[in-house]
Amino acid sequence: MHKILSVIKREYIQIIRTKGFIIGTILGPVVMAAFIVVPVAIQFISVDQQERIGVIDKTREVFMELDNKLDQKLKDGTRRYLLEEFRPSANIEELLQELNKKVLNKELSAYIFIPKDISEGGEAEYVSEHVSDFDKRGNINQALSSIIIGKRLRGEGLDPQKIGEYMRPVKLTTKKVTKRGVEKDTGGTFIISYLLVLILYMTLIFYGQIILRGVIEEKSSRVVEIVLSSLKPFQLMTGKIVGIAAVGFTQYAIWALFGLAVSQYSKDLILRFFPAAAAFEVPTIPSYIFIYFVIFFILGYFLYATLYAAIGSMVNSEKEAQSLVMPVTMFLIVPILLMLFVMKSPNSSFSVVLSMIPFFAPILMLLRICVLLPPFTQIAGSIVLLVLTTLLMIWITAKIYRVGILMYGKRPNFKEIVKWMKYG
Amino acid sequence: MNALEIENISKRFGDFYAVKNLSFNIPKASIYGLLGPNGAGKTTTIRMVMDIIIPDEGAIKVLDGKMDEGMKQRVGYLPEDRGFYPKMKVGEILLFLADLKGLKRQEARKRIDFWLERFDLADWKQKKVEELSRGMQQKLQFIATVIHQPEIIILDEPFGGLDPINTKLLKDIMLEMRGKGGTIIFSTHRMEQIEMICNNICLINKAERVLEGNLNQIKKQYGKNTVVLDYEGDAGFIKNFPGTDKIDDYGKFMEIKIKEQTDPQDLLNKLVGRIKINKFEVREPSLNAIFIDIVGEKNAQDTVSH
Repeated sequence: MHKILSVIKREYIQIIRTKGFIIGTILGPVVMAAFIVVPVAIQFISVDQQERIGVIDKTREVFMELDNKLDQKLKDGTRRYLLEEFRPSANIEELLQELNKKVLNKELSAYIFIPKDISEGGEAEYVSEHVSDFDKRGNINQALSSIIIGKRLRGEGLDPQKIGEYMRPVKLTTKKVTKRGVEKDTGGTFIISYLLVLILYMTLIFYGQIILRGVIEEKSSRVVEIVLSSLKPFQLMTGKIVGIAAVGFTQYAIWALFGLAVSQYSKDLILRFFPAAAAFEVPTIPSYIFIYFVIFFILGYFLYATLYAAIGSMVNSEKEAQSLVMPVTMFLIVPILLMLFVMKSPNSSFSVVLSMIPFFAPILMLLRICVLLPPFTQIAGSIVLLVLTTLLMIWITAKIYRVGILMYGKRPNFKEIVKWMKYG
Repeated sequence: MNALEIENISKRFGDFYAVKNLSFNIPKASIYGLLGPNGAGKTTTIRMVMDIIIPDEGAIKVLDGKMDEGMKQRVGYLPEDRGFYPKMKVGEILLFLADLKGLKRQEARKRIDFWLERFDLADWKQKKVEELSRGMQQKLQFIATVIHQPEIIILDEPFGGLDPINTKLLKDIMLEMRGKGGTIIFSTHRMEQIEMICNNICLINKAERVLEGNLNQIKKQYGKNTVVLDYEGDAGFIKNFPGTDKIDDYGKFMEIKIKEQTDPQDLLNKLVGRIKINKFEVREPSLNAIFIDIVGEKNAQDTVSH
């Protein structure tokens, strides 16, 4: 036990000190924060700039109201949109040409053409250099619609006082039904599921590669036999896998602390820069999801770690390992490809079966737990299968590893590996 | 009392026998040479002693027990395929390996400094292994083998890659350890090393033992049938002399096996005047000659019968 501990310590210290680990650990939260902040920020970042918008109002009745309605403010309290009316001259084509030029010269960020028959169903036009600014278009569309609808209603003789009340927009809240009742959900489930599964996927591949590289390094540097003069191959393998797991937990712990801080303060932070984001809710992770995440990370890690260790012991160089690593990586990529499908129909029999397959279970069962908590028997079943498979893989790998780490030269074929396992 | 007792061990890889029915005993406080051509089974034998490979048959007794975790603390092993983690510092890797041998940290540090000093590597303690030359790494590996003061050290081809100065240093340390009651087992295919320091030898060829015992006795068995000649000139004509059996000519130096009834004086008479003789010595054959005699003949036979 003391010897395994020595190996664990060595692995841990050696990896923690590498640039890769330090950079990865710092970059992780940055990416994580980016995942949460960037989508929000992007929505509101354009707010920062005042925009001049030209209006050609052929009805001669809408401009004033539109100017009142488009009263979105910038951070400093000034108006976001500065509207400028252009009187339609006799030659409308000439005016349009002129405005097009202004848009291209950036004198105007866009202009709106309102036809005379807009109340009767005529189409307004929005002309801009880039028409993908959903935010701006949304604002204009909403303002224009409510003005025109208001006009129509007044035309029907409704009380102008009451029209404002009738026109109140409908609010839509998304809720998620679970066994424990109804919860409010603002799309957080999707983000969390996506994030957790992605973290699991990336860390399994990342730490698998570290193990693979570590075993190959021990072989190619010829240190392995020196180490084996003190301990058994199985102890070496166990120490390596556990030591790197400890690295993984350290990294997760750092990230979790950061994540906690982000979820505590990110709202304040976002609000300070983008006050308009008040409606945005930072997703929180329910504790049961967190527990399952830890369970599936540990089990998935040990399953894949042994696979990578076995491959490392069979080959002489990382280049040689590539073709053997491919199928293992496929086991991790397939569930990622099936992610959207499983998210959409988490309880279909196809999803259930996939999430029970031990090699897919860490990712797909976790995903199902995030999206829609499956029956406990299914979760327990997948965990039991995963544990059994992992034990089997450890047993097989220990045999391959024992022989493989001392074999140099030609990469063994399948028949030879089976033979190795009989050497005992 | 024996430090190591090997009894009828065999190891097969598929149909290929790496070691077959091998037996020998190694007395305590001796230097034991395991020799044989490349691929004879020396490394497999040593790996079985170290419990890295498990023999199919036979038994191995180390000191007063068998090779388990506790016993590994009392044995030092320098494998043939050896190296270190390239990114670790010299001091760190030695500390790690000492730790694996169960050495206390404090004590380990002291001994590391002692050995680094002795091998003239003290300045390299904080350097990464990959910055060291091959020879320096060899010395480090030797330090790692003896850091825990083992009762037995097993060295697989220890002299490969060492320069004459370090070869001498290593040899001195081996003799010193034997003086303190340690047992040293080492394998090589270079005879002159064995001849100089070994008490006992075991010659392995094609997985089997062909010769075993005390080196002096083995040589005596062969008797004084050899003439060693140090000469200048063209000595090619000697092979026509009917009394010679086998000639190993190095150009300036010649080892001649003479037939039993031949008088070495006759040979000397034939030589005088035709070449310049610096030395003419009648003695037992060198280990090299015995080795080639046995192994060469056997392998030649096998090649014919195949």
